Order: sequence, then C-alpha cells, then structure tokens
Amino acid sequence: MNAPQPMTLKKPPAANTVDRAAGGVNRARWLRNALPGISLVVLLATIFIMQPRAMSYMGMNLMLNLAVPIALATIAQMLIITVNDLDLSLGSFISFVACVAATLLNDHPLLGCLVLLGCIGVYALLGALIHSRRLPAIVVTLGMSFIWVGGAVLLLPAPGGSAPQWLQALVKIKTPVLPFAIVVCVVLAVAVHLFLMRSRFGVVLRGAGGNPLAMAKAGWSLLRIKVTLYALAGGFGVLSGLFLVGLTTSADANMALRYTLLSIAGVILGGGEFTGGRVSPIGAVLGALTLVLAGSLLSFIRISPDWQIGAQGAILILVLALRTAVNRLEVRPV
Amino acid sequence: MERHTLRCALLSTALLITPFMHAQADTADKTIALSNNYAGNSWRQSMLNSWQQTTEQAVKDGVIAGADSFTTAENQATEQAAQIQNLILQGYNAIVINAASPTALNGAVKQACDAGIVVVSFDGIVTEPCAYRISMDFKQSGLDGMDYLAKRFPDGANVLEVRGLAGVSVDGMIHSGVVAGASKHPQLKVVGSVNGNWSQTAAQKAVAGILPSLPKIDAVVTQGDDGFGVAQAFTAAGRPLPVIIFGNREEELAWWKKQKDANGYQSFSISSAPSISSLSFWVAQQLLDGKQLPHDLLSPAISVTQDTLESSLKGLEKGGIVSQVYSVDDVAQLKSPAPQ
Amino acid sequence: MTVTQAALVDLKGVGKRFGAVRALNDVDLTFRPGECLGLIGHNGAGKSTLMHILAGTLSADSGTVLMGGADVRNGYSVQVARQHGIRCVFQELSLCPNLTVAENTRLTCPGLRDFGWRRKAGALIVATLDSIFPDHRISPGEVVADLPIAQRQMVEIARAFTCVDEHLALVILDEPTSSLDARVAGQLLHHVRRYVESGGCVVLISHILGEMLATCDRIAVMSDGCVVEVRGASAFTHASLVECMGTVSKPQDQDRVFVSRRDGQPPVVEQLPARQQNGQAVAAWPGEIVGLAGLAGQGQSQLLVQLLRERIASGKRVAMVAGDRQTDGVFSLWSIAENISISSLAALRHGLLIDPQAEQAMAAKWQQRMNIRTPDMNNPILSLSGGNQQKALFARALASDSELILMDDPMRGVDVGTKREVYAIIKEEAARGRTFIWYSTELEELNHCDHIYVFRNGQAVADLPRNELSEAQILRSSFQEEVA
Repeated sequence: MNAPQPMTLKKPPAANTVDRAAGGVNRARWLRNALPGISLVVLLATIFIMQPRAMSYMGMNLMLNLAVPIALATIAQMLIITVNDLDLSLGSFISFVACVAATLLNDHPLLGCLVLLGCIGVYALLGALIHSRRLPAIVVTLGMSFIWVGGAVLLLPAPGGSAPQWLQALVKIKTPVLPFAIVVCVVLAVAVHLFLMRSRFGVVLRGAGGNPLAMAKAGWSLLRIKVTLYALAGGFGVLSGLFLVGLTTSADANMALRYTLLSIAGVILGGGEFTGGRVSPIGAVLGALTLVLAGSLLSFIRISPDWQIGAQGAILILVLALRTAVNRLEVRPV
Repeated sequence: MERHTLRCALLSTALLITPFMHAQADTADKTIALSNNYAGNSWRQSMLNSWQQTTEQAVKDGVIAGADSFTTAENQATEQAAQIQNLILQGYNAIVINAASPTALNGAVKQACDAGIVVVSFDGIVTEPCAYRISMDFKQSGLDGMDYLAKRFPDGANVLEVRGLAGVSVDGMIHSGVVAGASKHPQLKVVGSVNGNWSQTAAQKAVAGILPSLPKIDAVVTQGDDGFGVAQAFTAAGRPLPVIIFGNREEELAWWKKQKDANGYQSFSISSAPSISSLSFWVAQQLLDGKQLPHDLLSPAISVTQDTLESSLKGLEKGGIVSQVYSVDDVAQLKSPAPQ
Repeated sequence: MTVTQAALVDLKGVGKRFGAVRALNDVDLTFRPGECLGLIGHNGAGKSTLMHILAGTLSADSGTVLMGGADVRNGYSVQVARQHGIRCVFQELSLCPNLTVAENTRLTCPGLRDFGWRRKAGALIVATLDSIFPDHRISPGEVVADLPIAQRQMVEIARAFTCVDEHLALVILDEPTSSLDARVAGQLLHHVRRYVESGGCVVLISHILGEMLATCDRIAVMSDGCVVEVRGASAFTHASLVECMGTVSKPQDQDRVFVSRRDGQPPVVEQLPARQQNGQAVAAWPGEIVGLAGLAGQGQSQLLVQLLRERIASGKRVAMVAGDRQTDGVFSLWSIAENISISSLAALRHGLLIDPQAEQAMAAKWQQRMNIRTPDMNNPILSLSGGNQQKALFARALASDSELILMDDPMRGVDVGTKREVYAIIKEEAARGRTFIWYSTELEELNHCDHIYVFRNGQAVADLPRNELSEAQILRSSFQEEVA
C-alpha cells in the first residue's frame, strides 16, 4: 500500500445528462418498434380511402390471404437472420414444398409427410454444416436454391398437380368477424413473439446472434442453437409452401421464387437488422403485410405498369429512410 | 351516336349492327381489366398496344365504362394472383388474363368467378374450369406451313425444322403440327431439327452448325422470330436458299420482299396475332352482355401469302409483327377446338 | 494473508501453444479461497490466455489443473469450470448487445428456468448491482446496446457475482476498471475486498499498478508466458512491479527541457471547439505534441472528430488513432499488414493496383519499428493481443504521410511497456516535424505533451505549456465548479 494511487481523470457523467439521454433512447426505440405498425396503418388508411370496398370482410380476405404464406416465409427468414445468416434458397424451398404438396402429399399422403419432414431435417443439417464448416450461409443457401428448384422441376416438370382437398379447405376457412388471413397473421406474430422474445429459450437463440463468442464462453452450444433455428426456419418454410399451394390449388416449380427477396425485405421493414440478432417477429409479420398491401395500393391508384416496380421500390426506400432517421435519434452513448 | 353507327357499319356487316347496339346498351356501365404477367418483348408490347387501341375506342363509343391494363413486375404467378385479387376488390365486371402459370392462378381465378366476375384467359391460359380460354391453334399453324410446302413440292422435298424454346408447351404444339403434316404429306421428309429459341441469333447459330451434315435442303419450317436468322445462315454457308416458312416478323417479311423483287422468291408466313388481346376483350364484353360461349375457344392464326405480302408489310413498323384489329363480330366466328 | 488454506485450483506446469507461438510455458499458480490474487504483466505476457484456460474457454496443451485434489484438465470445459464455481469477466465484453440486462443475466444463470424468470433475473441482477455499485441507475429492462460502455461493464461484473442455486468460488476480473471512472472503480475494488473477506477468491488483472497494490493480497507477475514472480502485495512497490515485468523500454526522460515551438510560424491547426464561447481555440504548431486533458467525455473526442472531418473536407492529410479499437479501429477480418497499409494505399500504388511487395515491405518495417509481436504480419489482426493491435493502429497512422495525427485516448488497456515504446516513437516523429493532438485520460501521459488544453463542458478552459503543467493546475481547471 505504499504506491501512490494513480489519478485517473474520469468522472461519472452528470446525472441529468444520463436521464435525458436515456429518455431520448427510449423514445427512439419506441418509435423504431412502432414504425412497422405505423407504416402499415398509414398504408391501410390510404387503401380504405382509395377503395372503400376493401374495408370489408371479403375485401380484407382478398387483399391479405396471399400475405399469409409471405408472412410465414418472413418468419422463416427472420429466424435465419437471428443468427446473422441469410437464406437465399427460401423462395425455391417454398416452391419445392408446394410441388411436393401438389403431387406426393396428394397421391401418397404418408410419403408426402415424410418428404416434408425430411425437408426440415435438411434445413437442420444445413445449419449444422454452416456452423461446423464455417461456411458463409449465403453461398450454401444459394447453392441449395438450385437444388430445390431442380427437385421441384423433377416432381412437377410442367405446372399442375393438385393440392389435397383438406388443405384447400383449410386455407379457405371462414372465421367469424375477422378474416382467416388476419387471424393466422395475429396468431403467428404473437406465438413467435412469445417464443423468441419472451421465453428463456428464445433469449438464448437471440443471444447467439448478438454475441456468439460470448455465448460460447458462457457454455452454450452454438451448433445446437443454429440447428434449432434452421430447423424452425425449415418448418415455417414448409407451412408457407402448404398455405400457398392451398390457396393456388396447384403448383408450379417457380411459383414462389420472389419470396426470397420479399421475406428479406419484410424482416428489414419490420425493424430487423442483418446482424446483431436484432429481430422482431411482430415487426416481421407487419413488414410482410406492408409489402403485400403496398402492391394492392399501387394497383388501386392505377399507377402505370411501367412505374409500378419503381413505385414499389420507392415505398420500400421511404420506410427504410424513416427508419434510418429514427436510428439517428438513438444517440449511441460511448 | 351517328358516327359510332357509321364506324360499326364500316367494321361489320349490316346484319351485325342490331345485336351490337344491344351490347352497347347492356355493358355501357361495365368495366373490364387486363391482368398481364409480362411486357418485355415486342409481341407483348404489340399485344398491350392492341388492347389499348381497342378499349380506348370502345370506351369512347360508350360500349364499356372502362378497360384498364395491369402488368406484374416480376412475371411470377403469386404476384399475379395477388393482382387478380386486387382487381376483384376494385369491382371489375370482367378480368382478361394473360397468365404466368396455367395452374397457379386457379385459386384467385376461382375467387373471381365466385364473386360473379367473368374471367377470360388468352395466350397464357388458365386451367380453372370456370374461366374462358382463347388460344391459338398452334398445331394447325404448324400443319398449315406443311400444307403449303406440300403444294410447292408435290414431288417431295427435304425439310429442316427450326423449333422454339425446348420444353415450352407452344413449341411442342407447333412441332406436333409439323409431325402431323409430315405424315399427311409423305413426300415431305424432315431431315433435321434444331432449336432456334425464337431468336434470330440463336437460330442462325444452330442452323449454321447443322448445315454441313445435311443434304440439300428444299424448305425450312420455323416458328417465328427466327426465319431471318435461318436465311442468314444459308447465305453465309453459300447454300441455295430454301423456301422458309416465316412467322410474320417485320424483318422476315422485309427480307422476303427483297428476295421476291430480286428473284421472284415465293414463301408463306404464319403466326399468332398479338391482337388476340383485343379479341379477348370483345369475348369478355360479349359474355358480359349475356351471350353464351363455350369455355374453350380457338383464335385463328394470321398468315401472309405471296399475294398479301405487300399489304401486310405496309404500315408495319420496324421490328413489329403482323397484326389484325379484331372487332366484335369476330367473336361470333370463334370455334371450339375439336375434342381430343 | 493469514492462514494458508487448501487451494481452490492448483495449476502445475500448464502450457499452451498457438501454432508456433508459445503463449504459456510451464505455469505454476495456486488460487486460494479468501484471497485476491493479482496478475500483472505486459500485453501478450499470457495473462488472458491463462485466464481463458482457467475459465474453460481454452484448453491447456500440457500440465495439470488440480481442483479438489483431482486433475480435471482432460475434458475441462466452461460447464466444468462453472460447476466448480469459476466465473470470468473477460476483457472484451461478453454481453449480448441485443438483449436486455435481465435476459443477459439469464444466459449465465441456468437456474432461472421457471415461469416468471424474467422478473426474477431482473431482481437478482439489480440486487447485485445495488450491492456493488450503489446508485448505478441501470434498469433490468434496458437493452445492453443502449447502455454506455461503463454501465455495460458494470452489468457484466455484477452478472459474474450473480448466481442461483450455484456454487460461486472464484471470479476472474480481466481489466475490469478499464472503462470505469475512478469512483465506480473504487466501488468495485471495495466490493472485491468484501467478497474476498467473506471467503471468495478473485483474480484481478489490471494495468493500473496502484489498484493492484491496494486491492490484492498476492501478485503474480507474468512475462513471456511464464510466471516470473509471486509475492505478497505488500512486498511490492510501484517500481519493483515494473522492474519485475521486465519491460524493455528505457526510463523516460522526465527532465527534458521544454522549448516552445510557437515561434512566429503559422499554426498547423487552429480549431474552435463546437461549444466554445470565449474564442479560445485549440492550436498546434508543426512538431508539437498537444494534449487534451480534463475529465472523460468533456468534448475532447468531439473536437478530434470535428478536426478530422474538416481536414478531410478541405482535402488535407490527417490520420487518427482510435481508442475504441473494436468499433472504430481494426478491420477485424484483415491481416495485420493490410490493417497497417490501408491509410497509405496511394503510396503503395503500382499503376492501378497495389504493389504487394511494397505493402509487405511497409508491414515489415513497422513490425520492426513498433515491435509488433507476431510470427507473421499476414496473420489476421485479431490474432494479436490487445496492446499489439493498438500498436498496429499506431503503425497505420504513422505509416501514412499525414502531417497531423489525432489520438483519441489510444492507450486504453495497454501495458506500461508498450506505452513507453509508443511514447518514444511519438516523440521521434514529432521531432521530425509531425504534429500530434492527443486526448488522454491518464495524467502521466500529459508529461509527454508540449501544450495541454484542459476541457470542461465541451470547452477548452485552460491552455498550459508543459513547463507550467502540474497535477494541481489540471485538477483546478477540470473541477472548477466544485473548487470555486
């Protein structure tokens, strides 16, 4: 104790600045979480003004029933993004599932179920492969996308097939008061939210995206986490494909290719980020609905076909720009 | 009204005027939408133009309240299904569809039918039974080409077949017409077959590749968009020019005209007309008017012969395709395909 | 240091290699309950590696790890370590930034499994925080990413001391005070003493010698992968500790004569801090080392960034050495050589491309000059220890042709030996006419500066040449409100 205490010139920040900064951060975070909801409400309001007919049971059902498979796909993508990966094969995987459902599942239900379960198994294996070989998920899933499309074409060389009757009946259930599509979206968002955001297991899954090294140091198996998330993503992909083929009644090897990008856009619109395990299941579902409704809105305001792609992109950029503005509000204290 | 009647008189026979006036009365407050999956080539552009011209005139004439066209951005079935659902919501009375997939839109089409909407599909047709289908008789167009060749070469000829994009149904149908023609006219011998992919450059390359292995070629059957490339391949190889069956493209007809002026070259050209969209419009209008039509309809192909070459070329813009404006009375002449 | 009790963990002859580099060599060390063991040594001496082995995140290649008399080296893992009650606060933060404070607590407490775990975890962590850092102002529902770095560090430390139905015997604190201010650091060290007196064991790693001498019972000195000296803390002095670490640098020339370089030439820099009210600008002349002093977070970093932006906007050359190397400094996927050459690409250009030989030559030159300890400059930058990464960042700035070099508290968590090496190089470069602006939170670093500006509330409140520099003077300027 004979050494002089070295003077470190550091002082706790003044109390009021901390509180003010915390308040700003909280408001920014609130705004950021609310943004997907707000953009959806604005979009819906515009649609209802443009097309009062849409404000009805049938109207909402028509606008939104194709949103259910997209919402499911977005959730699947979100699970992959949770661990900082990206699934570029999701669209072709969903197409493949749809083809299986329109052929095998219809003709040999047992075999069909086995194949679908096998698909989930393949996803789990992919997770294991990507983790243990340290492969970039983008490359692996890009490769898988060709395999899925190839499989789909083998099963269904020409568009056709027929979805099982029970599946067609299932997706056309008429629920009282709220259309089935909305009920499914709400249940999906709440269930995944409870699982991923509130349960103790979900915390571990998200933690692996936030700081994988620390998770490993805390004694969690990253392999098991990745396998779980990939298998879950595969499961939601299968659900998405089944729902889609139930709606369209028949399949096509290319029918869902655009879901890959739609699902990624949905996650990002919903407040998720590509890295850091920052995802939001409710936001992702809202993001998927926003994307679908943006398409409807453009069609309702009769934007010339030549401008529709551009206008759709503009809506995306607008929402993302808003989000960046909100992020600026989040003063990151150092 | 005076002018309108006059125009109708020009377009149709006197006999048809009366029912047409009825139609005008019954569908004047109806709207029709076109759901199109793709607009990226000359045929589609021409098809959309034809729709626009026909419907603009029809709206001006008070036949119909509105007819809008919508094209999807990414040529994907799910996107088009969503588009059709939006069109249902917007309250159109009829939807005319050029479909991205024959089956994947069935769910949306069924919803439209259930909502009491008339659905007419053309070119890319849908299989949902409640919809109407207007397709060209592609097999017949293949057969027509062979029939022409049989007349030109009663003593027999070696024929090279240039096919379209492998695996696409239209290619298969035209090919089956060519096969049928070959068995109908045994003197025509198909000595070779290549895929020209409906493209001038691909056709030229494919034909140039196979030519050295072939005997003298008297005639070539093509599917359209490839005849000019075939001619280039023969010229480049220094082989005598065969009779090429063309597909109504401007550059093919222009080449044909040049050869005809230079050395009396004779040929025949046949293809589907992009104005099939206007025909579909009239079918939808007639259905809304309460007319009963079979669910499957065949649209006629358009052919250009030695005699009509000049008139077909006249007014055809560069890179265009021979088309024909349909009027309401053409609907009455549509046939159902023979049961298979 | 009363009665020698049975050892918690006994390391005997532990060795560890990373490729050709021998990180640990035949280390013997005993950890006893009721004792705070200090571990000191220059960066890269093997302290962190040893702690990783103890915590189970790395496995030893040789030797024995005795716990309760049995060798547990084979099959030793994080889980086994936790079963033996060993917890670790690593130097690099191991919280998940996307999770809340309570959720992060859950990650290390498998005991929290029943319904309502979130509330329970929150209550637990807050209770621990309360006991270690009274008035901490952290709520369990806050997302870690939104917390300032000091509060993150507090959460991380508190988490190590939090447990549910678990045995807690030994806590490793690796540089726990590096991002804490003096008051909070004092709270932590006080808690360490309390914990040790209640029978726990703490391993403390720190570069602040006073902290070590005041807190530890025993101090083990490491050098080049070996434990070179273990003694009771009272047997060490400031000077004898430094001597034991065997740092290669020469003692600094304290009595260097101060010669002002402000002799009529125009200054290189004349910058008004954004919130300055009285027109006092921060100026620097060629060849000067200008220090920015004051309490942490009083606008010094902002001035540097402001300066950087304006220099870049007006097209003048400037280089910056970041303090927070994880977020602002290293390109973590690149090699050491690439990290160094990135700011000098124009000079390495050969036609349209980068000349790889010139790049290698530059890397080799700076490896030698900065004494960067690596077998190969083409290794990834993260293979270096923290201090050597910081050296690479210095090399990057110095290798560029910039006349002005900005330094944002760059010596955070760097050992004394490395610091001295870098100080010498900075002086050398200044003598060649380069200008340095140096923000430092450590008073003794200011001795190397020619001119010091003291900051308070975003403004430069004092301008001192070195010959007028004194601790009292700086303190007065920093705390004026409190003093007056």
